[in-house]
Formats: sequence, C-alpha cells, structure tokens
Amino acid sequence: MHRRMKDINFLGNRNIMFIISAVFIVITIAVVAFRGLNFGIEFTGGTSIAFNNVGDIDIADMRSAFDETDETEVVIQTVVSNGEPGFLVRTSQTNPDVAAAEAQQIAERFGLPTDSYQVTTIGPDWGGNITRSSIMAFFVSIIAIVIYIAWRFQFKMGVMAVVALFHDLIIVIGIYAIVGREITPNVIAALLTILGYSLYDTVVVFHRIVDNAEEGKMKCSLMKLANHSINQVFIRTVNTALAQLIPVLVLLFFGGETLKDFAFAMAIGLVCGAYSSIAISTPLYVLWKEREPKYAKLKKRYPDDLPSTRRRKQLEREAAAAQAQ
Amino acid sequence: MAQKKRKKKGGRRLHKTDKQYIGLLVLIAVLLVASVICFTPLNKRITQGLDIQGGLSVTMTASHIDGSAVTAEELDEAVTIVTNRVNKLGASEATVQAQGSNNILVQIPGLTDADEAISTIGKTGTLEFVDLRTITDQDALAAITSGQENVPLEPGTYTAFMTGDSLSGVSVGKASQTSADYAVDLQLDDAGTKAFADVSTDLVATHGQIAIVLDGVVNSAPAVQSAITNGQVQITGNYTVDEAKALKTVLESGALPVNLVFSESRVVGPTLGQDSLAKGVLAAGIGFAIVAVYLLFFYRGLGLLTVANLGVFAILYLGLLAVLSHYGLFALSMAGMAGIVLTIGLAADSSILVLERVKEEIRMGRSVKAASLSGVRHAIGTSVDADLVTLVSALALFFVAIGTVKGFGLTLALGIICDLVTLFVFKMPLIRLLANGSFQKHPVFWGINGDLEDGHAAEAAALERGLGDA
Repeated sequence: MHRRMKDINFLGNRNIMFIISAVFIVITIAVVAFRGLNFGIEFTGGTSIAFNNVGDIDIADMRSAFDETDETEVVIQTVVSNGEPGFLVRTSQTNPDVAAAEAQQIAERFGLPTDSYQVTTIGPDWGGNITRSSIMAFFVSIIAIVIYIAWRFQFKMGVMAVVALFHDLIIVIGIYAIVGREITPNVIAALLTILGYSLYDTVVVFHRIVDNAEEGKMKCSLMKLANHSINQVFIRTVNTALAQLIPVLVLLFFGGETLKDFAFAMAIGLVCGAYSSIAISTPLYVLWKEREPKYAKLKKRYPDDLPSTRRRKQLEREAAAAQAQ
Repeated sequence: MAQKKRKKKGGRRLHKTDKQYIGLLVLIAVLLVASVICFTPLNKRITQGLDIQGGLSVTMTASHIDGSAVTAEELDEAVTIVTNRVNKLGASEATVQAQGSNNILVQIPGLTDADEAISTIGKTGTLEFVDLRTITDQDALAAITSGQENVPLEPGTYTAFMTGDSLSGVSVGKASQTSADYAVDLQLDDAGTKAFADVSTDLVATHGQIAIVLDGVVNSAPAVQSAITNGQVQITGNYTVDEAKALKTVLESGALPVNLVFSESRVVGPTLGQDSLAKGVLAAGIGFAIVAVYLLFFYRGLGLLTVANLGVFAILYLGLLAVLSHYGLFALSMAGMAGIVLTIGLAADSSILVLERVKEEIRMGRSVKAASLSGVRHAIGTSVDADLVTLVSALALFFVAIGTVKGFGLTLALGIICDLVTLFVFKMPLIRLLANGSFQKHPVFWGINGDLEDGHAAEAAALERGLGDA
C-alpha cells in the first residue's frame, strides 16, 4: 500500500563517492601531465581545410597533392560527413591568402566543385586572444555565480557549488585527454555551459536543503536532512538529466562536426554535473556547515543517524550482540 | 470527512485568481499567434549565420607597429573604413563589427572567392609622397634610384611631404594609351596640389625623384620632368584591372589608423552550411520527439502538459529569434544551433521541476489544489534560481568571449528568458486552473493517482499519530 521508498543513503556513503572522484581527478592530472591535451588550430594557429564529398580520391592522392605545395606540416584525416567520404587537412599555414589559394589549387586538381570545401585559417596570435577571452568569461561567470548564490542562499553553498564545478571541469578535461579529442573554442563554450548545468543541479539540491532546514525545528543531523533533500529531488535529477542528455546524445550521433564538438563535452558534463551535486557539493557543504556550533550540536545529538552501509551493518551486529547478552 | 470538506473548497466557481490565470493564458495565446506570424516562413525570417549560409568570415586583429594599445576611437574608425571597403566589393549583406578591444569581424555572406576580399579589406592603405632627398637609408635610396621595384622603407628613415589625406578623387584608367596595364589616377585636393606643385617646382631643375610610397613600400619614384601644378598623379605598377580597382577601393576609403593582421579566416561553401543546418534541425527534432515520448510515458497527463509547455516555449523562442533577426541583432550560427538544442533540455528541466514538486506535495497528503498552489510556487522559486544561475554564465559567454562562442551564449541566454516567460505565463496558470477541476476528477489520466494514494496513506498515518499523541 505504502509506495513511499526509503531514502537512498547517498551521504552516509560519501567517502566512497569522494574516493571515486579523487581517483578520476588523479587519473586526469596524470594523463594531462603525460599526454597533454590536443588543442585545435584556433589555439595554435594554422589552417584547416575540410574537403567534402570527395568520391574515390584516397588519402595517398591527397597527400601527394599537398606534397606539391610548400606546406611541411600536413596532417590528413579521413572523415565521413553526410554519408560521403571527405578529408580534414591541417597545415601550419597562417596566411589566409596562401591557404585559400592552396585549397583551390587542390580542389581544381581533383575536379572538386568550389563549394565542396571549407578553409579556416587562424593567425598565430588568435589563440592567445581566444584563450584570454575564454578564461575571462570563465572567471566572470564563476565570480558572478558565487555572488548570486551567496546572496540568494549562503556563502558556503556558493563556494561548494564552485568546487563541484571544478570537479566536473577537471573530469571533462581528463576524458578529452584520454580519448585525445581536439579541444576547440566550441569545447570551451560547452565547458562553460557545463558550469551552468552543474550549478543548476546543485542549486536545486541546495534550495531544497534551505527549504527543509527552515521548516520547523530540526530533529536530525544536517547530513541526514541533506540526504533526505537529495532523495526528494532525486527523481527530478534523474529525469531532467535524461531529458537534457537525450537531445545532447542525438546531437552527438546525428549532428554535423561543429555540433558533435559541443555534444561530446556536454554529454560528459551533464552526467558529471548530476553526479557532483550529490557526491561532491552537498556532502562538502554539510561537512563545512557542521563546523558551525548549531549544526555541530545537532551532529553530536544525533551522532549515528546516517551511518554508511558498512557502519550500519556494524551497528546492527553490535545491537544483535547486545541483545544476545 | 476531510475529503468532503476539500471537495467543497475546490468547487467550479470562478475565483478572482482564476480570472487572472485565464487572462494570462489569453495573453500567451496572443503571444503565440504573434510569434507564429513573425517566424513563418522560418528559413526566411531567421537570419542564417555565415557558417550556414556560406561565405567569408574574417577576423582581424588591430595593433600598432610600435606595440602601443589600440584605442576605442581608432578601432571604430577602422571599422568604418573596413565597412566602406567591404561595401565597395559589392557585398550587400556584409557585416563589420568590432569584437573585444582590438578585433574586427567581417562577414560577407555568399562570397566564396575570398582572395580579392582578403587582399582588399585588410590593407592599411597609407599613401605617402616622399621627396627622395629626405630618405636617410642609403641602401634603400640606392635601390630606388637604380630603378628597383617595391623597395621597402623603414618608418622614420624618410619624411613625407604629403599623404593620402590630400586625395580628392581616385579613378582607374589605362596606364598609357598603348599599355595593356592599368593604373590608378589620383586627383589631389587644393592643399595637396599646392604641396605637390611646390616640391615638383623645387625638383624640376635637378630632375629629382618623388617616391610614391604605399604601406611603406615604394610603388614608383618618377623623376620630375616639369612642375606639376594641376594636382594629377598616376600610380602605375603593371596592375590588372581588378588589382587597380582594389587599390582604388583602399585609397578611397582612406588609410587605416591601425595595422590589421588576419587572425581567423573561414571560407564556407554554401552547400556545406545548409547540410550541417539540416543535421542540426534533424537533431533538434529527434531530441524534442524523444523527450516528449519519455515525458508522456513517465508523467502521463502531466507529461502532456510538459510537452505542451515545450511546444509553447519553442514557438515563443522562434518568434523571439525572428524578431531579433528582423532588426539585424541575430544570425543563427552552428554554435547557436547547439545552444538551441540544449535549451530544449533546460525547458524540460524546469517543467519537470514543477511537476515533481506538485506530485510530491500531493504525496505528503496535501489536497490537489493546495499542492498545485504551493508546489508551483516552490518549484518556480527553484526554477528561477537555477535559470538565473545559467543565465549568468550564458551572458558571461556572450559579453566576454569572442568568436563562435558568442552565438552560443546568445541563444542559450535567449532560451532561458523564454523559459522563464513560459513558466509564468503558461505553465503556472494552467496547472492551477486544472488543479481546481480536472486533476481531481481524472487522477489516473494526469498520472497522479499513485501520489494521491500515498497522500491518503500519509494523512491516515498522521491522523493515527495525532490520536496516539492525544
């Protein structure tokens, strides 16, 4: 009859979640340190030429065509777009005039129409510009967000929301490093939006904690109240994560190159964002908050009201033993 | 008993608040019709960005040769000059914008022959006339007098007696009657004519040379045969007619106050862009459909509300984009397309938030009406907070970032604004109106029967506890 489920014990088992995150972060740092990240030409300068619908021209033909130009560092990849074979060629050319002429020359050589290729040339200083403005955008958002959350809720919540954010960003970067995907300004944009997503989830949980804490006198530790809050919004978290993930995944599978760029980063970010609101920001916030006298007292009064699964079993054994005596 | 009492309360009589809700729904209906009128036909009403429409997109970074900072005035002046040049290329819908503190973004839709445009718009176009006697660099001087072409001059090693500011007219003509080459004929203004007359009179006795220097390179250095007092000067250089015209454009639009360097140039073929747009639209459509099916499955009738909400959101959103396009404030780029697809998720999110809260309050034993009132109120608070936080990062992207990322921030921010409007004007009044009637009558259809049972159980439990306490 009674369908209401018992609360899932997330926060009692917080140490397990901390360890999982710590492992991810360590792996990320190691991979980035040893393998580095693969930055796109937007950051390094150079030219990227996308040839589409190239018929049966093979990569060797393309390579020999580029051998006739003055380019020395030519990377040629085969791609499939719209079901048709194509090439993505990267060179270190930073002069758009020369790059456009080379692309035209090669298209002519293979008899490709003028609208079948796309030339992007990035000057050597542009990467610095992009990086600077991205970092600026990042810090401006972070500061604005902390101020907003501090004003609307609590300063400690703002700080922990941002900690969760860094956690998500680090993991996304780690996955980029591991799969060796190219980092483009679109990825940076996606990362900055992940900030938004990650926060959205965190804010929803924090909002509920504030609501619950305000309702009457607390008869449990803050950790238990927070765990209950997470459970109250859990179905929402899962459903919205799915509702958001679906369009992103569709983008990843059906979208063109630019859209895939966004979608890959967003997909990982979404999952991380939902996870970190439960596993990182909330428990850290509670641990910090419980240093305040009011909540420290509650914690002392209800010391074992949210034990970890292991601890609960131990308590049960102790109780059984006591009863047996 | 308690149930009976509740039923009475939730009668069908129209309350004052109900009228307000109906008013809001009428308002949204008007907005929807207006939006649909604004955005049909879609492909014409929403401006397509360059990466979709095809064309040339160039970002140039301004700097001074000596490394000093570029001022806002100089950047504005450069934008004006570049705009003039682009317009003279015959590109009708080109846009030239300043980006950040030292970048200029030029977008020329439909243009696929990039070479000419690139060589015209970024030329500094500094024209100087130099008396050869003022050149202090002996090597350069020797090169010029020996007839060598295109000798570069270092700044500071020569003094110009006149600059391109003194031009009053520029035209293209044959270099000479018999020549196949073209030349650019300059007409000097009064001050220029006088300066040229003075210098040429001075030089005529020695047949001294006057160097015509374009962007620091000696274009030609004719020897003065007779005093030139009519203010007519010709620039020759074995030009083709196109090259001569490009030079004319550069000279007519005046010299740039700054040095422009190409930072980014994209040439997009028109079919490519349309192709990725089609993919994006397909992705958005599939995404929308799957989310709708999922919500219907999970929330049943309430899911229908959410889907309707998504529909309203989408229509308002497209309407807003069409209006902004009309005023030239918006152009859909691929990055923007990604932003749009993501806002579908955001809009679904805020709907789910409301539904979950309402269901939860019903589970806690509140009446359907009370639950929808307080549930919507609480959930709106959360939605607004969460939306505003995302808005903060979207706006930061839009205002601070440069390049394609800007478009992404814009569509995201606009989507959030539409979501907030939809929430207040459509979802909130609709749920509250339905809570008064249909929700109670058809709990199974709306998918709240399970929650109601839980609610009754919770109520019964509370009652029991209450009795026990007493």
